[in-house]
Amino acid sequence: MAIITISRGSFSHGAEVAERVAERLGYQCISREVLLDASERFHIPEMKLVQAIHDSPNILQRFQFGKQAYIAYIQWALAQRVRSGRAVYHGFAGHLLLPRIPHVLRVRILASMEQRVAAKMAQARISEREALAVINKDDEERRKWSKALYGVDPRDSSLYDLMIRLDRLTTNEAVELICLAASSPAFEVTEAARQRMDDLAKACEVKAWLLDQVGDIAVTCEFGNVLIYAKGGDKQAERIRKAISSPREELADLANIEIRTAGPIPDHAL
Amino acid sequence: MAEQLSFDMILVMIMIAVAVFLFVVEWIRVDVVAILMMVTLPLLGLVTPTQAFIGLSSNAVVSIIAVIIIGAGLDKTAVINRLTTPIVSFAGKSANRIIIFISLTVAFISSFMQNIGAAALVLPAIQRISKSLKIPIERLLMPIGFSAILGGTVTLVGSSPLILLNDLLIPFKLEPFGLFDVTPIGIALVASGIGCFILLGRFILPQGEGAGSVTESLETTAAEAPRVTGEMFELHTPETFTHYREPVTVDLLRRRYLVNVLGLTEPPDYKVLAPASAAVIRSDVDLLVYGRHSEVERLAAELELELKAEPQVFRDDVTESVSGVVEAVVAPRSPLIGKTLKQQDFSRRFGVTPLAIYRESDIYRAEIGDVLLKMGDGLVLQGPLERMQYLSEGRYLLFATPLDVERMHPEKALLAAFWLVLALTMVMGFHIQLSVSLMTGALGMIITRVLTIDEAYQSVDWRTIFLLGGLIPLGIATEKTGTAAWIAHAVLNATGVVPPIVLLTIIALLSTVFTLVISNVGATVLLVPLVVNMALAAHADPRMAALVVGLATSNSFILPTHQVNALYMGPGHYRSVDFMKAGILISIIFIVVTIGMIWLFYGVS
Repeated sequence: MAIITISRGSFSHGAEVAERVAERLGYQCISREVLLDASERFHIPEMKLVQAIHDSPNILQRFQFGKQAYIAYIQWALAQRVRSGRAVYHGFAGHLLLPRIPHVLRVRILASMEQRVAAKMAQARISEREALAVINKDDEERRKWSKALYGVDPRDSSLYDLMIRLDRLTTNEAVELICLAASSPAFEVTEAARQRMDDLAKACEVKAWLLDQVGDIAVTCEFGNVLIYAKGGDKQAERIRKAISSPREELADLANIEIRTAGPIPDHAL
Repeated sequence: MAEQLSFDMILVMIMIAVAVFLFVVEWIRVDVVAILMMVTLPLLGLVTPTQAFIGLSSNAVVSIIAVIIIGAGLDKTAVINRLTTPIVSFAGKSANRIIIFISLTVAFISSFMQNIGAAALVLPAIQRISKSLKIPIERLLMPIGFSAILGGTVTLVGSSPLILLNDLLIPFKLEPFGLFDVTPIGIALVASGIGCFILLGRFILPQGEGAGSVTESLETTAAEAPRVTGEMFELHTPETFTHYREPVTVDLLRRRYLVNVLGLTEPPDYKVLAPASAAVIRSDVDLLVYGRHSEVERLAAELELELKAEPQVFRDDVTESVSGVVEAVVAPRSPLIGKTLKQQDFSRRFGVTPLAIYRESDIYRAEIGDVLLKMGDGLVLQGPLERMQYLSEGRYLLFATPLDVERMHPEKALLAAFWLVLALTMVMGFHIQLSVSLMTGALGMIITRVLTIDEAYQSVDWRTIFLLGGLIPLGIATEKTGTAAWIAHAVLNATGVVPPIVLLTIIALLSTVFTLVISNVGATVLLVPLVVNMALAAHADPRMAALVVGLATSNSFILPTHQVNALYMGPGHYRSVDFMKAGILISIIFIVVTIGMIWLFYGVS
């Protein structure tokens, strides 16, 4: 069964839609759990993970791999959670964290600015101007984050299978539409799709495990054959070689593992 | 007393710093750095336009061109092969004797040919010996590679720094060196290098695993060694293979199991060799595959194929001498360097299937089409031998397996040897200038059709030419502006006056350090004007100081930065640390022997 990711701006009723879709389909609904899993597994305070996935990297962070490491941890946790399918994820950047998985239905929920401002005013008891400023700042932060780390604008419709505006459609109707889309044969879990999901989970596992030992790397996995791209050249490759030389749980069911030091890094590498 | 520091001197120092910086970081290639110098120096008014390009017409550059053409002629006529074959058979089966004989041979060849050329020439022979005598290649390659570098110090045409030396001495009006002036030192260096490996080889060389090869033949049933890229197996698909299953293609098997399909049967009785990636595997057919035993077994188990004990349907195809799995090494100056197999459209263009790439201690088997190739990378290929021959002739790859040498001209071997001897006689017997003598030899080879003029042009390595030609004006600027004298005085003022032999030792150390980080030619051009000035100021022999630089810039063993080391690194499965281990010892011996010989032979004390 499909995996559904629901992304949205703040105060766009995305969480509500996600919960109701999950309820209707009998799927698990995931958001913060992913951060908690990652925090527990990699011993990182949840707050740091939230910052990593929410705030755009500043000039200094662009040259460090800390943020990438946190994102790798989150991605690992998400991949583990949704591995068996039947899940609705409405946390940050779901549409980007599960790349090239055929049975992921990517949804974006939009609400008008008036609705969002009103919701924020009601929640925080602030003036209209303040609420507008907060929402604009938040949107801008997301846009910068997405641009800096993935080179895409979250407003780009080509990132999603379905975009629903809640101006005139009700949340009920949005839920109907999403459930209908999720039942399409396009999102059936084929053997190839399951393989992709397994490969993504393995790539995440290897990357998350290696990052803080060896520095920034890119990882791909296909049919359990893992390629590690050492961005730091031969010296980093030597560190990776050393790290993977001893048997580890993270390397347990890999078919093959190779390290590359030069040459193009594929776009789909993590 | 040296002049005051002038603006021009500062400019020259900045240019030197820029050159050294670019040599070290390698943002642009070394020869491009040289061209940058060639253009920038006259723009800054540090040299005249004529001086800027004078390097290209220098004796050094012309000599290098001639040496390369003569080398290509010798290579083409298989003179070298004729030389190596009896030596190899004479060396017998003892690893030490093989090291001694081949090292001496390669040092000899290297003394009148470019070091890298000599090293590339004997590489296939060494790989063959390692395989047939089951001597780990790790034990053979490094001593022989080091000998190729050391052999470059035997004559004045043996290595680029020595060829360059006399040109760098011109501004000082010092007497030029003769072709064999360095020979005693060179011979002592070669002898001590080989001796060191024979005596201490077991401590400083990796001992290898004994197989000496990454491919296994059909007969081999030994347990899988980690370096093995695969073996050939035959599989059979059941009647029901395509039922209830998505189509299984050749490409899928490669990506999923890292198993390459080399042959496929088509009902009723066709055989397709090297099937296309998109070819679908049908029911009730036979497949010839290449892969690791464990992976082929996994494939057979998961897809329910029958794994045969030995090839039956394809038996003739794998044993026939027309086709096979062979190892090859990316040759120096190969058009493949810096490109991926995919970019080159390798399989389609050359009609052979790449199965694996090995580099240092790594073996690449997945997505090898995207690996950026380096000189010295090993390729495991499968395909018809005539196609491999094309790759060999085009200087793409060096093959360990002897391929047909039909298109070479062995009958011209005597002629080629004659022109070499003539050129050397002109230098030694008649004291005709090196460049003129060598070019006469090169011209002779072309006129007597040992090689065509086009082949001669193609053989010239323009990188070396522009590296030499472009750096010479930097040397001129350093000297002309008085920068060299200024630095020399500054250094001597700081250190105080030392005995000449100590000064030479310091120069040898300095040159060794320089050559490890920047190219040997770059180090020579920068250091010669400097050390000549230092020697003059310290009342030592300036020619000896220059000679030490010319020799010690070949003292490049600690890091695999020297071209010969880079070439042998892949096939020898060496890691950088292996070079450090043996290289430090050889480097120390190099300096001790050089200084000792100068003390002994040239009376410097």
